[in-house]
Amino acid sequence: MELQKFSYDNRMTRNFAIATMVWGVVGLLNGLLIALQIYIPSMNFGLEFTTFGRTRPVHTNAVIFAFVGNAIFTAIYYSLQRLLKTRMYSELLGKIHFWGWQAIIVAAAVTLVMGFTVGKEYAELEWPIDIAITVVWVIFGWNMFGTILQRRTSHIYVSIWFYIATWVTVAVLHIVNSMAIPVSFLKSYTLYAGVQDALVQWWYGHNAVAFFLTTPFLGLMYYFVPKISGRPVYSYKLSIVHFWSLIFLYIWAGPHHLLYSSLPDWLQALGTTFSVMLLAPSWGGMINGLLTLRGAWDKVRRDPILKMFVVGITAYGMSTFEGPLLSFKTVNAISHFTDWTIGHVHIGALGWNGMLIFGMIYWLIPRLYNTKLYSTKLANVHFWIATLAIVFYAIPLYIGGITQALMWKQFTPDGFLMYPNFLETVAQLIPMYTIRAFGGFLYVLGFLILVFNIVKTIQSGSFVAEEHAEAPALESLPEGKTQSESGHRFLERKPIRFLIFATIAILIGGIIEVIPTYLIKSNIPTITSVKPYTPLELQGRDIYVKEGCYNCHSQMIRPFRSETERYGEYSKAGESVYDHPFQFGSKRTGPDLAREGVKTGKIYKPNSWHYNHFIDPQKMNEASIMPKYPWLAKKEIDIQSTPGKIRAMKILGVPYPENYEQKAIEDLKAQADSIAKDLAANGIQTDSNREIIALIAYMQRLGVDISTKSTKK
Amino acid sequence: MSTNEDIQLKEPNKVNEEVDDVTKIKFFGGHEYDGIKELDNPLPPWLKYLFYVTIIFSISYLILLFVFKDDSIIQVKEYRKEVMAARAKTEVAVKEEAVKTAAAPMTEEQILAAGKAIYDKTCLVCHGKFGEGLVGPNFTDEYWIHGGRPEELKKVIIEGVLDKGMISYKSQMNNTQIDHVIGYILSLQGSNPPNQKAPQGVKN
Repeated sequence: MELQKFSYDNRMTRNFAIATMVWGVVGLLNGLLIALQIYIPSMNFGLEFTTFGRTRPVHTNAVIFAFVGNAIFTAIYYSLQRLLKTRMYSELLGKIHFWGWQAIIVAAAVTLVMGFTVGKEYAELEWPIDIAITVVWVIFGWNMFGTILQRRTSHIYVSIWFYIATWVTVAVLHIVNSMAIPVSFLKSYTLYAGVQDALVQWWYGHNAVAFFLTTPFLGLMYYFVPKISGRPVYSYKLSIVHFWSLIFLYIWAGPHHLLYSSLPDWLQALGTTFSVMLLAPSWGGMINGLLTLRGAWDKVRRDPILKMFVVGITAYGMSTFEGPLLSFKTVNAISHFTDWTIGHVHIGALGWNGMLIFGMIYWLIPRLYNTKLYSTKLANVHFWIATLAIVFYAIPLYIGGITQALMWKQFTPDGFLMYPNFLETVAQLIPMYTIRAFGGFLYVLGFLILVFNIVKTIQSGSFVAEEHAEAPALESLPEGKTQSESGHRFLERKPIRFLIFATIAILIGGIIEVIPTYLIKSNIPTITSVKPYTPLELQGRDIYVKEGCYNCHSQMIRPFRSETERYGEYSKAGESVYDHPFQFGSKRTGPDLAREGVKTGKIYKPNSWHYNHFIDPQKMNEASIMPKYPWLAKKEIDIQSTPGKIRAMKILGVPYPENYEQKAIEDLKAQADSIAKDLAANGIQTDSNREIIALIAYMQRLGVDISTKSTKK
Repeated sequence: MSTNEDIQLKEPNKVNEEVDDVTKIKFFGGHEYDGIKELDNPLPPWLKYLFYVTIIFSISYLILLFVFKDDSIIQVKEYRKEVMAARAKTEVAVKEEAVKTAAAPMTEEQILAAGKAIYDKTCLVCHGKFGEGLVGPNFTDEYWIHGGRPEELKKVIIEGVLDKGMISYKSQMNNTQIDHVIGYILSLQGSNPPNQKAPQGVKN
């Protein structure tokens, strides 16, 4: 058979690798910043742009989509060509993919600090950027499938199975979850409301973890671990079983983010059970990674790169054990809304994603530059610092999270909350946050060592843009399945069929969970007293979303005595039917706000309190860790946007009266004036057109609708 | 310095080997991707059984919910049960507590300390750290909006003044605690802290 000569294009791999490092520095430093901001509110430097509610989404987006995203593309652009013995399909598509993705990241960072956000975690970006992501993702897929179809190998390797599943699932998740009605160029309302929105969001959110942080990294692991160690993959059979079971089961697990919420019981049960069933398929990946190193353990001892892979894969095993554990309702009742969750995700992020990325970069760059790594010793130092960093990062959060949850739940013998003041439970966390920030600092330090080491390596080598290779052309394969080949082996040489099967596998769970929640009325029983927000409250809600309040405050009272005693009646599904987007939140750095406006409730505060508190929380309680929001009293409400917002809400099915958009501004002003008057009566002079007035109006609306039944009015 | 260069440069064994030298496990014939081979290992049995166990658990869990509608999985029922159990328990505890307090009366100092602890948790966010008044009225001057006698304060704490933003604290403090905090509040009279809020209400 004649050998064909061709070359691998290393340019895109190199570009993505460098982008990974650049965004890594940005994302990790941003992480360190918010680790400090969470307990030192003045670390926002008094600027709205650098306040936790905005910098936290920048951090999550930067590390997930910029740092990890670019690393995924690095791995795919490198391994795909070599596994398929072909050049990437199109240089142009590669370029558009690369620069498009970087432009999206810049646009994301800028809009998020400016406060343009949809208000759904890990999907905060506004609709024009969402469209750009879709386009670039399709271009990436085009380039990937083009490459697969022009391959010189008969079959596609397990890494590529994972790349295919990643591509199709991320596309489905992103498109469905980002559906929205635009109000203006950078403002939209999500298509779904309340519980339905929460379900779609966490179907997306959980599977962003699954198909952005897990499956591409399994693909990466399956390429780099055998490649670096020179060992064969432990078990092909295990690859097949764990691949299909993982992608099929993962998609169902989203509701475990909403345990004890107002999500129907049957959905919660699916969340729990499918998470539990994920344990073995996840560990299948870990085992196939670790056991591939059988016979190479002495190499692991000497080589920092393999050590990073071992710690990374072990971290994957730990967090995929912890995941099912946290999906048991009894455990989740403690862990949810606390720092335990943050610790859990960072075992995965710092351990699994981080360590695999480091290992990959240390191995890849010297090869792209035809040189040796500048210093193996420094890589070793990085390994130890990063490992230590994970310990310092996670352990305090576990301790802090459990402590706080137990304090929330503690009653005195005569039936009162032992710690009725939320801030008392926060005080316990401050030392833990300090140690966590130190862990974060170590992790950043380690990464800077990597950057130094890599820059030195690049300086000592010369870039190999075209890597020459040769392989025989692909023989034409029999169309149908031959007798001797197994069904799966047949599928491995039919990539489009493979794509279709993978798509079916990932659609089933989502369809079974999402569709009935829309079609069957009993899932979200109507509460007649629940009415749409007034125009002023709607504007206030948009400010709540814009400032990222949901990053620290939940609006979801779980049916526990400890929560109904602290906050009031537990949350019902019918309450949030006009909430585009839902604002249940996932973390309580501050107290729940779902009953904030209930005058007869347990946490009600007058307008003047809110005014003072927004401007200076420490004035109300010096132990408060909430940042000051003085700009709310200066900035004016964008009153002219009101009719457009009402119109968009009506399109979404919110029952405002006919032609209400024409009356909306008038109503808004009247309500704002009455709040300003009340503030004036309490000695606070302010114009009624300020953002703070709208936000107060929203605060005072929270929880009011379902309590009107019990109050005389 | 050289760590894995040697591996990289080494060509995959050209010999038609079928068995891995190290583990003596068979390779899958024809599976080779960029030098990566795959071994014919079965699934680890314990992993397979772990998978079966989780599947059996999940099916049972779902049957418990969908078929038997078990109370332990339906959260509203679970909640009602929790509240009932707590109510029964606290009734006993309240009686015991009453006996205990009657048996061991506190000194005035202890009362003030207990009252201050409650004040610092609950009251200060509106009435200021030293009772100087913030959103709520000043406790250190001689003026009272709803009266300054202990029973008048008690009424405010128990019922709240909803129109002014003072909520009812009857579900957050027991009777003894309310008495303690009133004792502390009244002890602030004339303490003259900085940043006092202007007098409100009528002079005592």
